[in-house]
Amino acid sequence: MTLILLIAVPLIAALIVLLPAKNIFRVRLLCAVSLFHASVVASFWWRRPGPELQGYFVLDPLGLLLLSILDLLFLATSFFMIGYFEREHRNNRTFTACILCLLSMTTMVSVSYHLGLMWVAIETTTLFSAPLISFHRNWKSLEATWKYLLVCSVGIALALMGTFFLAIAAHETRTLLLPAILNNAPLLSTSWLKLSVIFLFVGYGCKMGLAPMHSWKPEAYGQATGMVSVLMAGGLTQCSFLALMRVSQICHKTGLGDFYGSILIVAGVLSLVVPAVFLLDEKSLKRSFAFSSVEHVGLLVLGLGMGGVGVFGALFHMINNALAKVVMFLTAGSLAQKYGSSRAPEVRGVIHLYPVTGIFLLVALLAGTGMFPFATFHSELLIINASVISEHYVLAGIIIVCLAVIFMGISRLVLDLVYGKPVEPAPAPRENLFMNITIAAAAALLVGLGLWMPAPLSGLLHEAAALIGA
Amino acid sequence: MTPWIDVICILAVFLSLTLLATHRIVGMIKIFAVQSFFLGLVPLFLHGGIIAGRDLAVSLVTMVLKAGLVPAVLFWELRHISMRSEVRPILGLGASILCGAVLIAVAFWISLAMKLPGKLESSLVLPCSLATILLGFMTMVTRTRAVTQVLGYMVIENGIFLFALSLFDTMPVPIEMGILLDIFVAVFVMAIVLNHINEEFERTRSTGRRPRWGES
Amino acid sequence: MSLLFNKAVTFLLHWLVIGALSPALFGVIARVKAFFAGKKGPSLLQPYFDLAKLFRKKCVYSSTTTWIFRASPVVSLAVMLILSLMVPFGRFRAPVQFPGDILLVAYLLALGRFFMILAALDTGSSFEGMGASREAFFSCLSELALFMNFITLSLLSESLSLSRMIGADIPMSWKGLDPVLLLVVGSFFIVLLAENCRIPVDDPDTHLELTMIHEVMILDHSGVDLGYLLYASAMKLFLFFAILVSIIIPVRTGHPAVDTGIFLGGVLAMAVLVGIVESIMARLRLNRVRLLLLIAFALAFFSLIVTLWRN
Repeated sequence: MTLILLIAVPLIAALIVLLPAKNIFRVRLLCAVSLFHASVVASFWWRRPGPELQGYFVLDPLGLLLLSILDLLFLATSFFMIGYFEREHRNNRTFTACILCLLSMTTMVSVSYHLGLMWVAIETTTLFSAPLISFHRNWKSLEATWKYLLVCSVGIALALMGTFFLAIAAHETRTLLLPAILNNAPLLSTSWLKLSVIFLFVGYGCKMGLAPMHSWKPEAYGQATGMVSVLMAGGLTQCSFLALMRVSQICHKTGLGDFYGSILIVAGVLSLVVPAVFLLDEKSLKRSFAFSSVEHVGLLVLGLGMGGVGVFGALFHMINNALAKVVMFLTAGSLAQKYGSSRAPEVRGVIHLYPVTGIFLLVALLAGTGMFPFATFHSELLIINASVISEHYVLAGIIIVCLAVIFMGISRLVLDLVYGKPVEPAPAPRENLFMNITIAAAAALLVGLGLWMPAPLSGLLHEAAALIGA
Repeated sequence: MTPWIDVICILAVFLSLTLLATHRIVGMIKIFAVQSFFLGLVPLFLHGGIIAGRDLAVSLVTMVLKAGLVPAVLFWELRHISMRSEVRPILGLGASILCGAVLIAVAFWISLAMKLPGKLESSLVLPCSLATILLGFMTMVTRTRAVTQVLGYMVIENGIFLFALSLFDTMPVPIEMGILLDIFVAVFVMAIVLNHINEEFERTRSTGRRPRWGES
Repeated sequence: MSLLFNKAVTFLLHWLVIGALSPALFGVIARVKAFFAGKKGPSLLQPYFDLAKLFRKKCVYSSTTTWIFRASPVVSLAVMLILSLMVPFGRFRAPVQFPGDILLVAYLLALGRFFMILAALDTGSSFEGMGASREAFFSCLSELALFMNFITLSLLSESLSLSRMIGADIPMSWKGLDPVLLLVVGSFFIVLLAENCRIPVDDPDTHLELTMIHEVMILDHSGVDLGYLLYASAMKLFLFFAILVSIIIPVRTGHPAVDTGIFLGGVLAMAVLVGIVESIMARLRLNRVRLLLLIAFALAFFSLIVTLWRN
């Protein structure tokens, strides 16, 4: 019952939140729910619950990893929100309700063992995240919402088609439960499976924001508030990544690993090249972080596609990516709240006015681009290492060049924002404790992971990587 | 009962094609509703005319959601948005029909290469659902109004649904319902966002700042 | 000798049926429309009276016209008379049939139209020239759909002769409720409306509108010539009805009388149907006519694809 409870509690809380109340009450409820959720998930590290609802809900190492990451994200954002809603007086009823629903649905994604159910959950996350983007309800954010909604809905429709193709491929087993498919892997029809893999990849890749399908990303992340961008870039994209990993599991069992791997590698490389090109001339901080998110999901699929160490690297990168996104987007969010913008001409010389936020911005730059001692450095190194081991030397070269160009692109903008001449007249200088503590905690965690990997985590990562066949 | 499913498949494609040739949004919504209605009939013909409870349930839910509520939401949307109800096609209507005919040919040609392993209720299901999906994409791409894009999305969904019906046994009913409900909620959310967009548009128009669609 | 005699008898029979019955179709359509408008309507024999009146009158020719203008009514009527020998009337098989006659049928239709257009241009009036241009444009589209339908039917029946295509082979397909035939029937019905200048495409009753197509081309014809044209268009309607009825109800009970009855009943029902369509629909704007014909084409194309895909 624990898994069902984890899905149901946020939903009930979402209903409570819909009642008339003060903004701060809703945020506190959100904090309490995510704290509860996180503590239950933490207990899973000692003892994982068994399958529930006839095997539709199962928590395996992959799911546990994603679930823990999600809890980190939701905890961080809900604490950040305490600070944020001290200054924001817009009614947050829909906002918190949608976030609670997102918590419930992302939990469902990480524990669902039926591919149809997984599709339903992922599609629902799209629907609940759309109202979050247009929280400020101005023309641009509405347009971004529309773009996000439409592109992702169509993409996810393709994933549905892929799911049905998979059902045809698995017509011998007559079910889409993951264990049934994996155990009867030789019975799957290969040609249909290939077709289904392509559709699933395009569909979930669209939701993930991989390069040819990334067009919604800069718009949506550029317009959403920092907290929403964190949830989307760290949480929702990685939910879709879980779907891609499930596909990978099936492909490895059926000998389509190389076929799927080559698709992933091509998309991954594209997702590195595109942001490298676009970041060279980007004026908005949030948009450039959005392109950085495209880069990071590209790294994830690259690692998954290369197999071996790469899978381990990709799984490790999931955690680091999420933490880096917390640092990056929350900093951008607090900056945007202070200046009312995150674009270069309006924001200048942050370090003179807000020393703490300025430092955070530098930290975000280093964390987001994978510098030592942040853990992103290690996971990126692992992925590059995987490409060298599998003798893709050209690929390794491309990755390194792209990462370097992206570093230049982001640092150009961030250094400009941090050290430029301060804008006049200066906005009222005020730092918020809650916001800063959240960002600092995430950054500290990221550094900690970079210096020392705890044994349970490494055990979980190895267990999860073994599931994918690495 | 295969012939009836065949007829419905053909009708679905034909209606998607007429959707492309329609120049009023109201007409498009009506055509979509008719298409969804016919698709809702499909489960009833699936098992040789023996109607089980679950067939009836899926059929009813489909009809109520897709042929009833979705068009109702779209009509509500049209009333609330002070837009003229004519589609603004990028591609002329005549050219759209010809392109649509080509797309149908493409869909049938593709489906020749796809051999279904199991026995399907009707051989026309696969090509027709592919054709419907392609036509839906075309509606979405070549019609610039927001409501018509939603309609295109819904036609794509209808195509997928037609395909899904042939795999009825693989998907448990709750998940099938979940999919249907998700699609309805999607349209609902889209309608709300559209409404917000319209309000914002009206507000900015009165103050003279008038950003263009697509400008960012 | 007796063979020749038999042939001559069937020729005459076909001509008798079409010559005697075709004007009545106009009367039926007019009555249906009158009924829908809440009026009593003209007698069913009115078209016959009209024809008789026209045949008694003398022709007036404009001084600018040439022999083409005079030839066109004769050609139109002659084309229809030849065509009527190639279309089966229910139980009466077509006296003239050979593999590939379908092309001849299509091009005879085109020949009649060609002369009409030339005659309209021959008058030198810009008004009639405009009608001619429209007729040429729309017939381009409808002919495309017509050919597509013929190709589908010939694939279904595996023959290139009109009599075989719409003959005995079709019942097999109908038994399985073949959606292809539904498409063909739909497409052919639109082509029928377009080719015979019926309402959503063209209004045969108005003479003073800038949007009319067929009527504007025959404005300068008078007397016997006009009678010929009217007669020819009645026959054309009858022929299209005959083809469509043979596709829809290919019933062969074996009793000559019953079969003939069913066929004639079908033609009558078609006329009523056209009357109903004319009563409940308005004529389309000219640029929408193009869309309608394109839809007819798309339907025919679709049916062709499905047929090809099955083989």
